[in-house]
Amino acid sequence: MVGSAVFRVEGLRKSFGQNEVLGGVSLELHAGEVTVLMGANGAGKSTLVKIISGVYERGGGTMSLAGQDFAPNTPAEAIRAGVVTVHQNINDGVVADLDVATNLTLDRLSGSGAPFLFNPARVRREAKAVADRMGLAIDLKARVSDLSLADRQMVAIARALAHQPKVLILDEPTSSLSSAEADRLFALVDRLREQGVAILYISHRMSDIRRLADRIVSMRDGVISGVFDKKPLDYEGAVNAMLGRKIHLDQIVARDSAKAILTIDGLRIAPGARPISLTLGDGEVVAITGLVGVGKTALAETLFGVRRPLAGTMTMNGKPYAPGSAGEAIAAGVFLVAKDRATSGIVGGFNIERNVSLPFLRRMSNLGVLKRRLERATARRQIEELGIVCRSEKDELASLSGGNQQKVMVARWMAQDATLFILDEPFQGVDISARRDIAAKLRASANGRATLLFVTELDEALETADRILVMSEQTIVGAHRNAEVDLDRLLAEVAGGPLHNAA
Amino acid sequence: MNITRRLLGKVALGLAGATMLMQFPALAADKPAPFDKPGVKIALVRYLSTGDFFQAYLSGVEAQSKALGIDLRVLDSRQDAALQSDMVDQAIALGVQGIIIQHGLTESMKDAAQRAVDAGIKVVAFDVNVENPKIPQIEQSDRDLARLALEQAVKDNGNSWNAGYVYVAGIAPLDRRNETWVDVKKKYSGIKEVAMFGTLDNPIANSVANQARSVLSAHPDIKVMFAPYDEFAKGVKIAVDEAGLNKGIKIYSADISTSDISAMREPDSAWAATAATNPAVVGQVSVRALAQLLAGEDPGHNVVVPPTLITQKELIDKDIKNMEDLSAKLPQFAHADVAMPAWMPNPNAK
Amino acid sequence: MTLRDHAIRYGFIVLLFGLVAYFAIAADGFVSPQSAVFIFQSVAITGVLALGVTATLVVGGFDLSIGSVATSAMMAAAYVMVVLEQNAVVAVVVCLLIGAIVGLINGWLIVYMRVPDLLATLGMMFLLVGLQRIPTEGRSIATGMTMPDGSVANGKFGDAFLALGRHRFDFFIPNLIPVSVVVLLVLAVLIWFFLEYTRFGRMMYAVGSNERAAELAGAPVKAYKIWAYVISGVFASIGGILLAARLGRGDIASGNNLLLDAVAAALIGYAVLGAAKPNAFGTAVGALFVGILLQGLTMMNAPYYTQDFVKGVVLVVALVFTFALSGRGRE
Repeated sequence: MVGSAVFRVEGLRKSFGQNEVLGGVSLELHAGEVTVLMGANGAGKSTLVKIISGVYERGGGTMSLAGQDFAPNTPAEAIRAGVVTVHQNINDGVVADLDVATNLTLDRLSGSGAPFLFNPARVRREAKAVADRMGLAIDLKARVSDLSLADRQMVAIARALAHQPKVLILDEPTSSLSSAEADRLFALVDRLREQGVAILYISHRMSDIRRLADRIVSMRDGVISGVFDKKPLDYEGAVNAMLGRKIHLDQIVARDSAKAILTIDGLRIAPGARPISLTLGDGEVVAITGLVGVGKTALAETLFGVRRPLAGTMTMNGKPYAPGSAGEAIAAGVFLVAKDRATSGIVGGFNIERNVSLPFLRRMSNLGVLKRRLERATARRQIEELGIVCRSEKDELASLSGGNQQKVMVARWMAQDATLFILDEPFQGVDISARRDIAAKLRASANGRATLLFVTELDEALETADRILVMSEQTIVGAHRNAEVDLDRLLAEVAGGPLHNAA
Repeated sequence: MNITRRLLGKVALGLAGATMLMQFPALAADKPAPFDKPGVKIALVRYLSTGDFFQAYLSGVEAQSKALGIDLRVLDSRQDAALQSDMVDQAIALGVQGIIIQHGLTESMKDAAQRAVDAGIKVVAFDVNVENPKIPQIEQSDRDLARLALEQAVKDNGNSWNAGYVYVAGIAPLDRRNETWVDVKKKYSGIKEVAMFGTLDNPIANSVANQARSVLSAHPDIKVMFAPYDEFAKGVKIAVDEAGLNKGIKIYSADISTSDISAMREPDSAWAATAATNPAVVGQVSVRALAQLLAGEDPGHNVVVPPTLITQKELIDKDIKNMEDLSAKLPQFAHADVAMPAWMPNPNAK
Repeated sequence: MTLRDHAIRYGFIVLLFGLVAYFAIAADGFVSPQSAVFIFQSVAITGVLALGVTATLVVGGFDLSIGSVATSAMMAAAYVMVVLEQNAVVAVVVCLLIGAIVGLINGWLIVYMRVPDLLATLGMMFLLVGLQRIPTEGRSIATGMTMPDGSVANGKFGDAFLALGRHRFDFFIPNLIPVSVVVLLVLAVLIWFFLEYTRFGRMMYAVGSNERAAELAGAPVKAYKIWAYVISGVFASIGGILLAARLGRGDIASGNNLLLDAVAAALIGYAVLGAAKPNAFGTAVGALFVGILLQGLTMMNAPYYTQDFVKGVVLVVALVFTFALSGRGRE
């Protein structure tokens, strides 16, 4: 135990309708300590965070901050009391149409005591102070909408830190950061810890957790299922408490493919990038890994016809393949489960059935009139196949957990047989059990097509693929058969190591 | 094709103007200054401009201006009260000698009109009260309009009937027409207003037709519809036709247009009579009153243009099909002997 | 389902029946086949426009130009028949073409020129309000009118065309149902079937809900959006044809009231059966709702401004049903 409990939650409850999300959560945060909160999707983490940060009203229980009763009615009240939250959805934390400097000082522009006149010089001065304190190397005059996701995230966090918080809650802050940026964030967390801030850190990434955690609190089904604070921390135990079952890495039996399905020759996806050449075989699951921003999504979109290559040719089953649109790619049997399901996959107004049938409506209709019975049967079959947890195929996607939403996205594209099945970051924001279900399903159904995954997390590649390719600087820099992988070489390639030695 | 026609029209107008200029020296001697020479500059500052009435009004202003050799500038504020006020200042800056203010709001135009008077410019106002003793008010008599139509209604139907009345309060001419309706109801106790309705949602005729249908089913005992605005009357006629009641109901209205004429002429049309002032004549009178002021004569503070009663029977008997026929075959409609000193050219004279 | 779910789902329908019951008691002659038919007739034109704007709402757009498309079509019909002395078929074809072309231009501006939908269609609205005045220099069109060049237009509204506004079909009672009501019902069923039961309609909903997801599912998103505006334009021009047939002349009008009533009907439609999205059935019920309300109020001698007020109240209540009670607004 490092410090006394500065923030205490006792018996917190919350229900939405008849659905109890939090069933009496008790939690302590200590000054100068990083408490990691782990939990599968749907365990209630987000709800807990939203109650603490004043977004939701609690259904029962008490909260106290430094011995005082803490009951924020609005996010602003929570912030004023010194409890600051950086939410998972980055765009909630920044105003895209304003510049960085204004964003960093936004909270001083409103509220009592704010000056009446907007003074750009003072705003820039104050913003610079905030940015320096955090080591933020971003042009303060740039518009936030022009920044990358990672930079926006840094701005959002910097903005939160401008409040000098007593308690800082970070909800999956590294989910869209590169490792260099994540390192900067970790350094910052370390500094805040030294300054005595109590930090609640929510993450799925084991590497983050190993790097930062002083204590781990596991959550499952709306209750705390385990608290781990004895050094060395019991990471296995924490994962177990979170999942409620013993997990172990499945040993992949790497398969080799005899028959080539897709051959890529000299494909250039960015100006100045070295061309990509590769072959994907029948029955093979290939994972392409690499850091954020190395061109994984660009390659996926090129294969799917959404983006044109600058040079090079593709051949599929012996015939030239050059899709001009997503529609053409789909017609050729190339399916893509796109990255970031909320913006590129889920149709919010549709239920499961309609989300599943979306790309194949032409095949499910007669003279344009939909065959609704076929649609329903397909949806039911896919729910069964992928083990989607829902009441029925009429459920709205919003009522499903992140893992189940992702299963619906995969189910959508597995409803028909693919020639080439591409999944871009299919495990993003997906709990471990859903991820394992999806991976198992992909491997089990792999025959008859080529399967290509784009993942940032190496674990995900190791758990799923027969072959692992490494991408760096818009090209492929390494290839590994997933059996006795030379992890050192692989990591060096990922980190953009000596390119020219890559095989 | 339209563009060509428009262009041709403009060329023709230009030619006509040129011809007039050449004729002027001969006529000029008959007229007082400043009309002894062509090229007197006046401005027409408009608040309302869309619709047949305003088109016809403008044509009257143009015709009389042409007859007087006046250089006319038209400034159209398109229902923007502030802009209309600015346009008066613009006209002053243009160096015009006279201004016609056509419609507008008293509040916004009173000061603007005063500024023009202070600048030594002669001003007349049509259908807007600028509360200025130096500015003659041109008016079509709305009370007379309603009176003529209602007198005809009494003549046709006796003095005891149930009436539907179309009225929207707050519109100045309709309010004045309403005063007459109130008087008539007082005078004849047998006339009962069983329903009052009305709307200005456009297309007005369509919206009024919808309302009138409801009224007719609620009050099947209505014998006379008094709709003192032709758009209202048109809507009522559609509803009466749709309800198949065209033989049992008579419509009395105010105002007239070509399409009103054809509606009144239809077989078994319920639209019995309308009272109207020719908007072109009102336009002519506006220019004439201003010309009198410029020539140093006094047209009087209230220049009233009298209305004409037009009945269905007249239209059919005289085979009147459009506004031109109406002007040609009902002389009292084509010309009003108002603001007509001896020297004033009559634009209608051939 | 909880009581709240039931309230969201059936609340508006119950309100509708309550309204009918109230007027049946309060207003003499409200309950009769003629009265019922008339309510349909009074909402036929705005109803057709509302069904069109529903298509653009489905793809996440909006069409402010429908009112002026309708009045422009009315002017075009009058111009074709009265000035150019063509027959009814030509007039109808010209109107439909105008609607389709305006829709294409709207779609092109929005999809390819990236002009926001409200602004593009607002621009189109002004353009059309001006354009419809150009051929006649601002005059309304009626037989016997004088053209700008001094000639007299002698063409007439053909009987076949006027029949669109005046003919009535027998339905148990002779001469009961006007053509416009049949047109409304047919178009309502058509667009309802199109949106609910064809893949095109389904894709349009997908485009409106998540454009990128629809694109990545292989939908030609741009084409769908343009089609939505074409549907909207064509429906508006059909409304204009019915308007011309009813009035029997070409009236200069901005059509703003048609636009507002149509949009109100479509938005009220969100609340019907708790759909919380644009839908054809809801739009039709919404239009009917407004029609019943206005018919009843007029029969009870309520002045026009109370009617606007009541219309506004209904719209606000419907929006509360849609966004607050059903919780869709937060998505």
